[in-house]
Amino acid sequence: MKDGLAGIFARLAASRQAHERDAERLEFVDALETVAQAIVSWAEKCAGEARQLAGSAGEGESKARLEKLAAALERVPLHPAGSFYEAVLSIYVTYSFVPDSLGTLDRYLLPFYEKDMAEGKLTRDEATAYLQELFLMLQGRMKPDDVRFHRGGESHFCVGGYTADGEDGFTDLSRLIVEAMLELPTWVPQLSLRWTAKTPREVLRYMMDRERHDANKRIAFVNDEPRIRALMQIVGLPFEQAVRYTMLGCNELALPGGIMMGSAMENILLCVERTVYGRAAELPACRTYDEFYAVFRQELHRLMEEIVQYEDAFNLARARDVNLVSSLFLEGCIENAQSVTRGGCTRAIAQPIFIGISNVIDSLSVIRQFVYEEKQCTMAELLEALRCNWEGHEDLRTLISKKARFFGNHDALSDGIARQLTSDIYAELKDHKSVFGYSFLVGNLIGYNQHNKWFGSGTRATPDGRHDADMIQFGIGQSEGKDRSGLTPLLASIATCDPNGILCGSSVTNVMLDQKLIRDDELFEKTVLMMETYFRQGGIHFQLNYVSPEELKETRLCPQKYKSLRVRVSGFSDYFVALDGDLQDEIVTRTEHAQ
Amino acid sequence: MQRTNDGSAMIFDVQHNSFVDGPGIRTTVFFKGCNLRCQWCHNPESQAMEPQLLFDAEKCTGCGKCREVCPQHLKSCTLCGQCALYCPGDARSLCGEKISVQALLEQIEQDRAYYEASGGGVTFSGGECLLQPGALGALLRGCRERGISTAVDTAGAVSWETLEAILPDTDLFLYDIKCISNGRHRQFTGAGNAVILQNYQRLLSAGKAVWVRVPLVEGFNTDEEELAALCAFLRAHPPQRVEALPYHRLGERKYRALGADMAQHTFPVMEQERAEELKKRFREST
Repeated sequence: MKDGLAGIFARLAASRQAHERDAERLEFVDALETVAQAIVSWAEKCAGEARQLAGSAGEGESKARLEKLAAALERVPLHPAGSFYEAVLSIYVTYSFVPDSLGTLDRYLLPFYEKDMAEGKLTRDEATAYLQELFLMLQGRMKPDDVRFHRGGESHFCVGGYTADGEDGFTDLSRLIVEAMLELPTWVPQLSLRWTAKTPREVLRYMMDRERHDANKRIAFVNDEPRIRALMQIVGLPFEQAVRYTMLGCNELALPGGIMMGSAMENILLCVERTVYGRAAELPACRTYDEFYAVFRQELHRLMEEIVQYEDAFNLARARDVNLVSSLFLEGCIENAQSVTRGGCTRAIAQPIFIGISNVIDSLSVIRQFVYEEKQCTMAELLEALRCNWEGHEDLRTLISKKARFFGNHDALSDGIARQLTSDIYAELKDHKSVFGYSFLVGNLIGYNQHNKWFGSGTRATPDGRHDADMIQFGIGQSEGKDRSGLTPLLASIATCDPNGILCGSSVTNVMLDQKLIRDDELFEKTVLMMETYFRQGGIHFQLNYVSPEELKETRLCPQKYKSLRVRVSGFSDYFVALDGDLQDEIVTRTEHAQ
Repeated sequence: MQRTNDGSAMIFDVQHNSFVDGPGIRTTVFFKGCNLRCQWCHNPESQAMEPQLLFDAEKCTGCGKCREVCPQHLKSCTLCGQCALYCPGDARSLCGEKISVQALLEQIEQDRAYYEASGGGVTFSGGECLLQPGALGALLRGCRERGISTAVDTAGAVSWETLEAILPDTDLFLYDIKCISNGRHRQFTGAGNAVILQNYQRLLSAGKAVWVRVPLVEGFNTDEEELAALCAFLRAHPPQRVEALPYHRLGERKYRALGADMAQHTFPVMEQERAEELKKRFREST
C-alpha cells in the first residue's frame, strides 16, 4: 500500500542482481515477478471493465462511481495508494494473494483515513461503505458448498493494541471498522480487540457490548501485555515489530509480513502416559513428589525433543514445495530469493500446538496430592488402577473426582504445578530453533478438526480420572467441570499459569457465562470489570459463551427451529446445529457447568 | 442456640464471583444456621446450625456404595460423610463444615484484584451470620485490616447489641424486610418482626449504608394492603437502595433432598410482567 507493486518490482530487480549466479533463486524471482505481473494485469482488466461499464451507464451516480473505480484501478495496486478509497481497493485486489487476514486494519488505514477526513475528501458513511464492500468480498470467498461455509474462523483480524510509540491504538477508525462489520449480516470476517493496560475501560465495555448484541458472535478479546512480552523475550522481536502482531484464522497468532511456521498438533498428555506406564517399574521407589517429578521431567524432555524434530520434519516436507503467492508479500522472501516454505521469510515463529495441557497439570496434581501429600493411596495402587482402566478401583476414581485439587480453582497446589510445567516447557524450548532458525512459541487450540478427541482415543487412562480413550482437553481452563470454586478462581488460575509466556502462541480460553450476566445491564457491567481484571492478571485470551444448556438441548431436539443459534467453539464460532455430535456434547457440558 | 466463638465458623458455601450480593464483584460466605423459618426459603439447608446429610433421590443409581462404606451400615448417622465422599452419582452430600477464620480470610483474599477493580468485597450471608457473632466479628475485623470492603446480609432478628458490635467493621448491610404485618410475619417465618423493624431503623440512625431486600411471595406479601404498607414504611425510612426479589422454585430440590414436606414450601411463581412491575414499584418507593 505504501510502495505499491512498483516497489515490489524494484525489490525483485535488486534481488535478481544479488543472486545473478544462482539459477534456482533466479528462477524463483522470475516466478514471483510473474505473479506480481498477474496482479497488475488483473487490476488493469478490472479497470478496463469498469471504464466500459461506465461508458454504457447513463449519466448519474452509477457512472461517476464506475469512473472513480476505473481511475483508481489504473493507479493501485501498482502504485502507492493516494487515498483511503485507493488503500481499501489495493487490499481488495491483492487479498487473494495475501494469507487469510486483514491484519491490523485500523492501523495501516489510519494515515489515509485521517488525511482524507481532514481534507474533507471522505465522510464516515463513505468509509463505512468501502469497508463493507471489502468485508462482503471476504464472506463471498467462502463457497456455499464448502463444509466450512458457516464457520466464522476465516479472515480474522484485529483492532486496537499498542502502537510503536507505546500508546493504545484504538481509534475513531477502529470503532468505524467494528460498526461497519457488525452492520453486515455476515459471519466472515471476525475480529479481536487487542487489549492493553492503557485501553480505556470504555473501549472494552463498548466491544463487549457489541459482542453481546452480535448474534453471529464475531468478536473475541486478546491481551497485548503477555503476548508482546513473549514476542520480545522469546521470539526476540523489537517492541516496534512485536506491536504489529495480529490474530488470524480461528485465533492464531500472526506477524504481518512474517509467518507462523508449523502449527502441527501434538498430544502433550503422552509424557504422562509414558511416565505412568512406560516408567511404572521405577515409580513406586520415588519417595517424594520431587523424585517422581524428576522421572516425569525426563519424559517431558524426551517428548519436547521429539516434537522439535517432528516440527522440523513437518516443515521440511512442506519445503519440497514453493509458495509463489504469499512469498511476494512476506518480508525477506524477495531479498533471499527463497520461498517462505523454505525459510525465506526473515520474521517468523515456529509453533507446535499442545493439546491436553490441563490433563497433564491435573494428572500431576493428583499424584502430588493423593500419593505424596495426603497418602490416600500408594503409587503402586494408583498405577494398578490406571492399568485396569479404573475397573475395580472406582472408589479411588470417585475420590479423585470429588477431592482432587484440580487446575482452575486458584489452588496453590495445582496452580504451582501449572507454573512448573509451563516453566519447564519454556526451559526445554527456549534454546531450540526450528530448522529455519525460528524460535518456538506454543499454542493450544484446535482448528476445524477434533484433535482432542482423536488424541484422546489413543491415550490410556490417566491419573486425572480419565478413562482409556476419553477425550482430552484443548485450550486452557475451559470450564470442563473441574473448576468448582467459580469463575474468578478459574480466571486467576489461567491468568497466572504461564509466567514466561511460552503459551503465547495460538491459545484459547472459552469463558462460559450464565446468560443473565450478559443480559442484565448492571450484571453485565460487573462482567466487563471481571474480564478487565483477568487481563490485568495476565490472561491471554477470552471469548464468551452464554447460551443456556436448556436452549442447547432444545436445539438438538428441534434443529430446524434453532438454525441461527451460534456458539463459540475453539477459536471460531459456528452454528450449533452444524457441529459434530461430540462437539455439541462437549459444549452442552461446559454450558451446564457455568450455571 | 450454639454460639461459635472459637475462631471458626459453620459454613455451608463460599461463592466467588458473586454479582448479586452488593456492589461490584464479591465473594459471599454463607453461614449455616438461621433463627427464622421462612416458608419460601430457597436455601433450606442453611437453616439448621448443625451439618446435615442431603440425599437427592433423582441422582441415586442404587449402587449400594453408601451402605458399604457407612460404619453404621446406614442404620444411624454420625455425619461422618463417608457415604457422600464415595457416592459416585453425587446423590449424597454433606452440608456444613467448620472452617477457621484464618482459612476463610485466605479464600476471601484471593479475589482482591476483582474487588478493587469493581468496588466489590466480601458479603457474609447465610443462614443468619449474626448467630455466630464471634466468628463473624473476627472475619469482619480481618477484612478491615486487609482493606477489603465488607457487607453483612441479615434478616435482623437478633439483639441490637449483636448488631451494634459489628457496626464499625461493616461497610454495608443487606437487610431483609419481608412484611410489615407482625402477625403475618410470625405465621410465615416463625417469628414476629418488631425487633427486625426496630433494628433497621437503628441502623439508619447510626448512619449505616443499608440495602433493603424484599422477597416477593404470592400469598404472603403481594396483596395491595401489604405492598402499600411496605412501600410506605420504606418511604418513611429510606435505605440506600431497595431490591425486590421474586420467589423462585430453585429451592425445591433441596427440600426434597432434606426429606422435607414440599406442600408447605411451595408458592406460586409470579408472572414475569407482574414481577417487573413490582420491582419497579419498590425501586421507586424511596
